[in-house]
Amino acid sequence: MPWESALQIVYTGAAAEPARVAGFPLDSDAFAGFYERSARPLWAYLARVSGDTALADDLMQESFVRFLCASQPASLAAEGEVACRRYLFRIATNLMRDHWRRPVSASLEDIPEEFFAAATDSAQADSQAILGPALAVLRPRDRQLLWLAHAEGYTHKEIAEITGLASASIRLLLFRARRKVASLLREQSKPQQNATVRRHS
Amino acid sequence: MMLKSCTREGEMKSLLASGAWPHACPPDLRAHVEACRSCGDLVLVTGAFQNARAEAVGRAPAGSPGALWWRAQLRRRNAAVERLCKPILGAQIFALAINITLALAFVVSQARHGIHWLTWLERIPQARTLHLEALWSAAQPDAGWSLYLLIPALATLALVGGVVVYLATEKQ
Repeated sequence: MPWESALQIVYTGAAAEPARVAGFPLDSDAFAGFYERSARPLWAYLARVSGDTALADDLMQESFVRFLCASQPASLAAEGEVACRRYLFRIATNLMRDHWRRPVSASLEDIPEEFFAAATDSAQADSQAILGPALAVLRPRDRQLLWLAHAEGYTHKEIAEITGLASASIRLLLFRARRKVASLLREQSKPQQNATVRRHS
Repeated sequence: MMLKSCTREGEMKSLLASGAWPHACPPDLRAHVEACRSCGDLVLVTGAFQNARAEAVGRAPAGSPGALWWRAQLRRRNAAVERLCKPILGAQIFALAINITLALAFVVSQARHGIHWLTWLERIPQARTLHLEALWSAAQPDAGWSLYLLIPALATLALVGGVVVYLATEKQ
Protein backbone atom coordinates (compact mmCIF):
# COMPACT_ATOMS: atom_id res chain seq x y z
CA MET A 1 0.00 0.00 0.00
CA PRO A 2 1.46 3.43 -0.90
CA TRP A 3 2.49 5.57 2.04
CA GLU A 4 0.15 8.46 1.21
CA SER A 5 -2.91 6.26 0.81
CA ALA A 6 -2.12 4.44 4.04
CA LEU A 7 -1.98 7.74 5.90
CA GLN A 8 -5.16 8.84 4.20
CA ILE A 9 -6.99 5.73 5.38
CA VAL A 10 -5.83 6.36 8.91
CA TYR A 11 -6.44 10.07 9.18
CA THR A 12 -9.28 10.89 6.82
CA GLY A 13 -11.74 8.32 8.05
CA ALA A 14 -11.67 5.67 5.37
CA ALA A 15 -11.41 3.27 8.26
CA ALA A 16 -14.81 4.54 9.38
CA GLU A 17 -16.35 1.79 7.32
CA PRO A 18 -14.53 -1.23 8.62
CA ALA A 19 -16.48 -3.99 6.98
CA ARG A 20 -16.63 -2.25 3.62
CA VAL A 21 -12.88 -1.77 3.56
CA ALA A 22 -12.51 -5.52 3.96
CA GLY A 23 -14.65 -6.08 0.89
CA PHE A 24 -17.75 -6.99 2.84
CA PRO A 25 -21.04 -5.31 1.97
CA LEU A 26 -22.01 -4.25 5.50
CA ASP A 27 -22.57 -0.59 6.30
CA SER A 28 -23.70 0.83 9.62
CA ASP A 29 -27.42 0.41 8.83
CA ALA A 30 -26.98 -3.15 7.66
CA PHE A 31 -24.94 -3.83 10.76
CA ALA A 32 -27.72 -2.42 12.96
CA GLY A 33 -30.16 -4.86 11.37
CA PHE A 34 -27.75 -7.74 11.74
CA TYR A 35 -27.18 -6.77 15.37
CA GLU A 36 -30.90 -6.70 16.11
CA ARG A 37 -31.31 -10.19 14.72
CA SER A 38 -28.17 -11.76 16.18
CA ALA A 39 -27.44 -10.07 19.51
CA ARG A 40 -30.11 -11.80 21.57
CA PRO A 41 -29.37 -15.37 20.46
CA LEU A 42 -25.68 -14.70 20.94
CA TRP A 43 -26.25 -13.31 24.43
CA ALA A 44 -28.43 -16.31 25.30
CA TYR A 45 -25.66 -18.65 24.15
CA LEU A 46 -22.98 -16.83 26.12
CA ALA A 47 -25.10 -16.40 29.24
CA ARG A 48 -26.27 -20.01 29.39
CA VAL A 49 -22.96 -21.60 28.51
CA SER A 50 -20.86 -19.37 30.78
CA GLY A 51 -23.51 -19.10 33.50
CA ASP A 52 -22.57 -15.46 34.02
CA THR A 53 -24.75 -12.69 32.58
CA ALA A 54 -22.19 -9.92 33.17
CA LEU A 55 -19.57 -11.92 31.32
CA ALA A 56 -22.09 -12.56 28.55
CA ASP A 57 -22.62 -8.79 28.18
CA ASP A 58 -18.89 -8.16 27.86
CA LEU A 59 -18.20 -11.05 25.52
CA MET A 60 -21.12 -10.17 23.29
CA GLN A 61 -19.87 -6.62 22.80
CA GLU A 62 -16.34 -7.80 22.21
CA SER A 63 -17.56 -10.39 19.71
CA PHE A 64 -19.37 -7.78 17.63
CA VAL A 65 -16.39 -5.41 17.71
CA ARG A 66 -14.04 -8.17 16.62
CA PHE A 67 -16.51 -9.21 13.95
CA LEU A 68 -16.44 -5.69 12.53
CA CYS A 69 -12.68 -5.38 12.78
CA ALA A 70 -11.95 -8.73 11.20
CA SER A 71 -11.23 -8.97 7.52
CA GLN A 72 -13.89 -11.52 6.71
CA PRO A 73 -13.13 -14.09 4.07
CA ALA A 74 -14.77 -13.60 0.71
CA SER A 75 -16.79 -16.79 1.08
CA LEU A 76 -18.60 -15.25 4.04
CA ALA A 77 -19.92 -12.41 1.91
CA ALA A 78 -21.30 -14.87 -0.61
CA GLU A 79 -23.04 -16.97 2.02
CA GLY A 80 -24.76 -14.00 3.61
CA GLU A 81 -26.16 -13.47 7.07
CA VAL A 82 -26.24 -17.13 8.09
CA ALA A 83 -22.50 -17.38 7.57
CA CYS A 84 -21.99 -14.05 9.35
CA ARG A 85 -23.89 -15.30 12.36
CA ARG A 86 -21.90 -18.52 12.38
CA TYR A 87 -18.71 -16.47 12.24
CA LEU A 88 -19.95 -14.34 15.12
CA PHE A 89 -20.65 -17.44 17.20
CA ARG A 90 -17.18 -18.67 16.39
CA ILE A 91 -15.63 -15.44 17.68
CA ALA A 92 -17.76 -15.66 20.83
CA THR A 93 -16.78 -19.29 21.37
CA ASN A 94 -13.10 -18.43 21.10
CA LEU A 95 -13.49 -15.51 23.49
CA MET A 96 -15.26 -17.72 25.99
CA ARG A 97 -12.52 -20.34 25.69
CA ASP A 98 -9.87 -17.67 26.25
CA HIS A 99 -11.76 -16.47 29.29
CA TRP A 100 -11.81 -19.96 30.80
CA ARG A 101 -8.13 -20.49 30.10
CA ARG A 102 -7.20 -17.27 31.85
CA PRO A 103 -6.47 -17.71 35.56
CA VAL A 104 -8.97 -15.70 37.55
CA SER A 105 -8.94 -14.51 41.12
CA ALA A 106 -12.56 -14.46 42.14
CA SER A 107 -13.47 -12.03 44.84
CA LEU A 108 -16.89 -11.21 46.21
CA GLU A 109 -16.88 -7.88 44.34
CA ASP A 110 -16.37 -9.63 41.02
CA ILE A 111 -19.51 -11.72 41.27
CA PRO A 112 -22.45 -10.08 39.46
CA GLU A 113 -25.32 -8.86 41.58
CA GLU A 114 -27.87 -10.96 39.68
CA PHE A 115 -26.10 -13.98 41.05
CA PHE A 116 -27.37 -13.13 44.52
CA ALA A 117 -30.74 -11.78 43.44
CA ALA A 118 -33.75 -14.04 43.67
CA ALA A 119 -35.30 -14.97 40.34
CA THR A 120 -38.57 -13.13 40.07
CA ASP A 121 -39.55 -14.09 36.56
CA SER A 122 -41.33 -17.43 36.69
CA ALA A 123 -40.25 -18.49 33.18
CA GLN A 124 -36.66 -17.74 34.05
CA ALA A 125 -36.98 -19.57 37.35
CA ASP A 126 -38.53 -22.62 35.66
CA SER A 127 -35.94 -22.71 32.92
CA GLN A 128 -33.10 -22.29 35.41
CA ALA A 129 -34.56 -24.94 37.68
CA ILE A 130 -34.91 -27.44 34.85
CA LEU A 131 -31.74 -26.97 32.86
CA GLY A 132 -29.51 -25.05 35.29
CA PRO A 133 -28.39 -27.94 37.55
CA ALA A 134 -27.84 -30.25 34.59
CA LEU A 135 -25.77 -27.66 32.74
CA ALA A 136 -23.74 -26.94 35.86
CA VAL A 137 -22.60 -30.56 35.96
CA LEU A 138 -21.49 -30.62 32.33
CA ARG A 139 -18.12 -29.53 31.04
CA PRO A 140 -18.06 -26.14 29.27
CA ARG A 141 -17.35 -27.78 25.92
CA ASP A 142 -20.35 -30.08 26.29
CA ARG A 143 -22.53 -27.10 27.18
CA GLN A 144 -21.35 -25.33 24.04
CA LEU A 145 -21.99 -28.33 21.82
CA LEU A 146 -25.43 -28.99 23.25
CA TRP A 147 -26.47 -25.37 23.01
CA LEU A 148 -25.30 -25.01 19.42
CA ALA A 149 -26.98 -28.25 18.38
CA HIS A 150 -30.23 -28.13 20.29
CA ALA A 151 -30.89 -24.45 21.01
CA GLU A 152 -29.45 -22.94 17.83
CA GLY A 153 -30.06 -25.93 15.59
CA TYR A 154 -26.65 -25.99 13.93
CA THR A 155 -25.51 -29.07 12.01
CA HIS A 156 -22.44 -31.05 13.02
CA LYS A 157 -20.40 -29.41 10.26
CA GLU A 158 -21.42 -25.93 11.38
CA ILE A 159 -20.63 -26.76 15.02
CA ALA A 160 -17.22 -27.98 13.92
CA GLU A 161 -16.63 -24.65 12.17
CA ILE A 162 -17.73 -22.68 15.22
CA THR A 163 -15.86 -24.64 17.87
CA GLY A 164 -12.80 -25.56 15.84
CA LEU A 165 -13.23 -29.24 16.67
CA ALA A 166 -12.99 -31.98 14.07
CA SER A 167 -16.29 -32.58 12.33
CA ALA A 168 -16.00 -36.34 12.85
CA SER A 169 -15.68 -36.04 16.61
CA ILE A 170 -18.67 -33.73 17.01
CA ARG A 171 -21.14 -36.57 16.55
CA LEU A 172 -19.61 -38.68 19.31
CA LEU A 173 -19.09 -35.79 21.71
CA LEU A 174 -22.61 -34.58 21.16
CA PHE A 175 -24.05 -38.04 21.60
CA ARG A 176 -22.28 -38.49 24.93
CA ALA A 177 -23.20 -35.04 26.16
CA ARG A 178 -26.83 -35.49 25.16
CA ARG A 179 -27.08 -38.85 26.90
CA LYS A 180 -25.54 -37.38 30.02
CA VAL A 181 -27.79 -34.33 30.17
CA ALA A 182 -30.87 -36.45 29.40
CA SER A 183 -30.06 -38.75 32.34
CA LEU A 184 -29.58 -35.71 34.58
CA LEU A 185 -32.86 -34.21 33.45
CA ARG A 186 -34.69 -37.51 34.06
CA GLU A 187 -33.13 -37.90 37.50
CA GLN A 188 -34.03 -34.35 38.29
CA SER A 189 -37.64 -34.79 37.23
CA LYS A 190 -38.13 -37.93 39.37
CA PRO A 191 -38.22 -36.19 42.79
CA GLN A 192 -40.49 -33.50 41.33
CA GLN A 193 -42.88 -36.15 40.01
CA ASN A 194 -42.83 -37.97 43.36
CA ALA A 195 -43.57 -34.73 45.19
CA THR A 196 -46.49 -34.03 42.84
CA VAL A 197 -47.91 -37.52 43.40
CA ARG A 198 -47.57 -37.12 47.19
CA ARG A 199 -49.28 -33.73 47.04
CA HIS A 200 -52.21 -35.18 45.06
CA SER A 201 -52.59 -38.25 47.33
CA MET B 1 -20.38 -45.99 25.73
CA MET B 2 -21.65 -47.35 22.42
CA LEU B 3 -22.63 -44.83 19.77
CA LYS B 4 -25.98 -46.14 18.64
CA SER B 5 -27.92 -43.53 16.80
CA CYS B 6 -31.45 -44.23 15.69
CA THR B 7 -32.34 -44.36 12.00
CA ARG B 8 -35.33 -42.08 12.64
CA GLU B 9 -33.28 -39.41 14.37
CA GLY B 10 -33.10 -37.24 11.27
CA GLU B 11 -36.87 -37.36 10.95
CA MET B 12 -37.21 -36.39 14.61
CA LYS B 13 -34.73 -33.53 14.25
CA SER B 14 -36.60 -31.98 11.35
CA LEU B 15 -39.87 -32.37 13.23
CA LEU B 16 -38.42 -30.64 16.29
CA ALA B 17 -36.84 -27.88 14.18
CA SER B 18 -40.10 -27.13 12.41
CA GLY B 19 -42.01 -27.03 15.70
CA ALA B 20 -44.28 -29.87 14.60
CA TRP B 21 -43.51 -31.92 17.70
CA PRO B 22 -45.65 -33.11 19.45
CA HIS B 23 -48.94 -31.96 17.94
CA ALA B 24 -48.29 -32.61 14.26
CA CYS B 25 -46.31 -35.78 14.83
CA PRO B 26 -47.50 -39.02 13.19
CA PRO B 27 -48.70 -41.58 15.78
CA ASP B 28 -46.15 -44.20 14.74
CA LEU B 29 -43.28 -41.78 15.34
CA ARG B 30 -44.72 -40.85 18.70
CA ALA B 31 -44.88 -44.50 19.65
CA HIS B 32 -41.29 -44.88 18.43
CA VAL B 33 -40.09 -42.02 20.62
CA GLU B 34 -41.58 -43.67 23.69
CA ALA B 35 -39.72 -46.89 22.93
CA CYS B 36 -36.41 -45.52 21.58
CA ARG B 37 -33.98 -44.11 24.11
CA SER B 38 -31.97 -42.12 21.57
CA CYS B 39 -35.02 -40.33 20.18
CA GLY B 40 -36.41 -39.89 23.70
CA ASP B 41 -33.16 -38.18 24.73
CA LEU B 42 -33.30 -36.02 21.64
CA VAL B 43 -36.83 -34.85 22.38
CA LEU B 44 -36.14 -34.23 26.05
CA VAL B 45 -32.88 -32.35 25.54
CA THR B 46 -34.08 -30.31 22.56
CA GLY B 47 -37.22 -29.30 24.43
CA ALA B 48 -35.24 -28.21 27.48
CA PHE B 49 -32.71 -26.26 25.44
CA GLN B 50 -35.31 -24.56 23.27
CA ASN B 51 -37.23 -23.44 26.35
CA ALA B 52 -34.01 -22.16 27.89
CA ARG B 53 -33.17 -20.33 24.68
CA ALA B 54 -36.59 -18.70 24.46
CA GLU B 55 -36.32 -17.56 28.07
CA ALA B 56 -32.75 -16.28 27.70
CA VAL B 57 -33.45 -14.45 24.41
CA GLY B 58 -36.32 -12.63 26.12
CA ARG B 59 -34.03 -11.62 28.95
CA ALA B 60 -31.17 -10.41 26.72
CA PRO B 61 -30.30 -6.73 27.13
CA ALA B 62 -30.85 -4.43 24.17
CA GLY B 63 -27.47 -2.94 23.34
CA SER B 64 -26.58 -0.14 20.97
CA PRO B 65 -25.20 -1.20 17.58
CA GLY B 66 -24.06 2.39 16.96
CA ALA B 67 -21.74 2.33 19.94
CA LEU B 68 -20.26 -0.97 18.81
CA TRP B 69 -19.80 0.37 15.29
CA TRP B 70 -17.97 3.37 16.72
CA ARG B 71 -15.79 1.19 18.95
CA ALA B 72 -14.88 -1.03 16.02
CA GLN B 73 -14.03 2.01 13.93
CA LEU B 74 -11.79 3.38 16.69
CA ARG B 75 -10.05 0.06 17.20
CA ARG B 76 -9.49 -0.37 13.49
CA ARG B 77 -8.03 3.12 13.23
CA ASN B 78 -5.71 2.52 16.19
CA ALA B 79 -4.55 -0.74 14.65
CA ALA B 80 -3.84 1.03 11.36
CA VAL B 81 -1.85 3.76 13.15
CA GLU B 82 0.11 1.13 15.04
CA ARG B 83 0.86 -0.73 11.82
CA LEU B 84 2.15 2.47 10.24
CA CYS B 85 4.21 3.46 13.27
CA LYS B 86 6.14 0.20 13.42
CA PRO B 87 8.41 0.94 10.42
CA ILE B 88 8.74 4.58 11.54
CA LEU B 89 10.00 3.46 14.92
CA GLY B 90 12.44 1.10 13.24
CA ALA B 91 13.72 3.93 11.07
CA GLN B 92 14.11 6.17 14.11
CA ILE B 93 16.15 3.57 15.95
CA PHE B 94 18.28 3.00 12.86
CA ALA B 95 18.88 6.76 12.49
CA LEU B 96 19.84 7.02 16.15
CA ALA B 97 22.32 4.18 15.81
CA ILE B 98 23.86 5.77 12.71
CA ASN B 99 24.15 9.15 14.50
CA ILE B 100 25.85 7.65 17.50
CA THR B 101 28.29 5.70 15.31
CA LEU B 102 29.11 8.79 13.25
CA ALA B 103 29.59 10.91 16.35
CA LEU B 104 31.94 8.38 17.90
CA ALA B 105 33.89 8.00 14.67
CA PHE B 106 34.17 11.76 14.36
CA VAL B 107 35.39 12.24 17.93
CA VAL B 108 37.93 9.44 17.58
CA SER B 109 39.23 10.84 14.30
CA GLN B 110 39.51 14.34 15.79
CA ALA B 111 41.35 13.02 18.81
CA ARG B 112 43.84 11.27 16.54
CA HIS B 113 44.45 14.48 14.60
CA GLY B 114 45.76 16.21 17.65
CA ILE B 115 43.16 18.37 19.30
CA HIS B 116 44.05 18.65 22.93
CA TRP B 117 40.66 17.85 24.42
CA LEU B 118 42.01 17.32 27.89
CA THR B 119 43.77 20.66 27.93
CA TRP B 120 40.62 22.42 26.80
CA LEU B 121 38.53 20.62 29.42
CA GLU B 122 41.03 21.52 32.17
CA ARG B 123 40.82 25.21 31.25
CA ILE B 124 37.05 25.36 31.46
CA PRO B 125 36.76 25.61 35.27
CA GLN B 126 39.46 28.28 35.37
CA ALA B 127 37.82 30.42 32.74
CA ARG B 128 35.21 32.92 34.03
CA THR B 129 33.17 32.47 30.93
CA LEU B 130 33.10 29.57 28.53
CA HIS B 131 34.52 30.88 25.29
CA LEU B 132 35.21 28.91 22.21
CA GLU B 133 38.61 30.68 22.09
CA ALA B 134 39.65 28.30 24.84
CA LEU B 135 39.11 25.45 22.48
CA TRP B 136 40.68 27.40 19.68
CA SER B 137 43.86 28.01 21.66
CA ALA B 138 43.94 24.40 22.80
CA ALA B 139 44.18 23.22 19.26
CA GLN B 140 47.51 22.87 17.60
CA PRO B 141 48.24 25.46 14.93
CA ASP B 142 48.40 22.84 12.18
CA ALA B 143 45.07 21.33 13.14
CA GLY B 144 43.15 24.62 13.31
CA TRP B 145 41.14 23.99 10.17
CA SER B 146 39.52 20.99 11.76
CA LEU B 147 37.87 23.17 14.41
CA TYR B 148 35.81 24.85 11.73
CA LEU B 149 34.41 21.45 10.99
CA LEU B 150 34.32 20.10 14.51
CA ILE B 151 32.13 22.69 16.18
CA PRO B 152 29.31 22.85 13.63
CA ALA B 153 29.42 19.08 13.21
CA LEU B 154 29.10 18.53 16.95
CA ALA B 155 26.28 21.03 17.16
CA THR B 156 24.46 19.38 14.25
CA LEU B 157 24.95 15.95 15.73
CA ALA B 158 23.65 17.10 19.09
CA LEU B 159 20.64 18.69 17.45
CA VAL B 160 19.81 15.75 15.18
CA GLY B 161 20.50 13.24 17.95
CA GLY B 162 18.18 15.11 20.29
CA VAL B 163 15.41 15.18 17.71
CA VAL B 164 15.86 11.49 16.92
CA VAL B 165 15.84 10.50 20.59
CA TYR B 166 12.76 12.65 21.15
CA LEU B 167 10.92 11.04 18.22
CA ALA B 168 11.98 7.58 19.28
CA THR B 169 10.81 8.03 22.84
CA GLU B 170 7.67 9.98 21.97
CA LYS B 171 5.87 6.76 21.00
CA GLN B 172 6.50 5.15 24.35
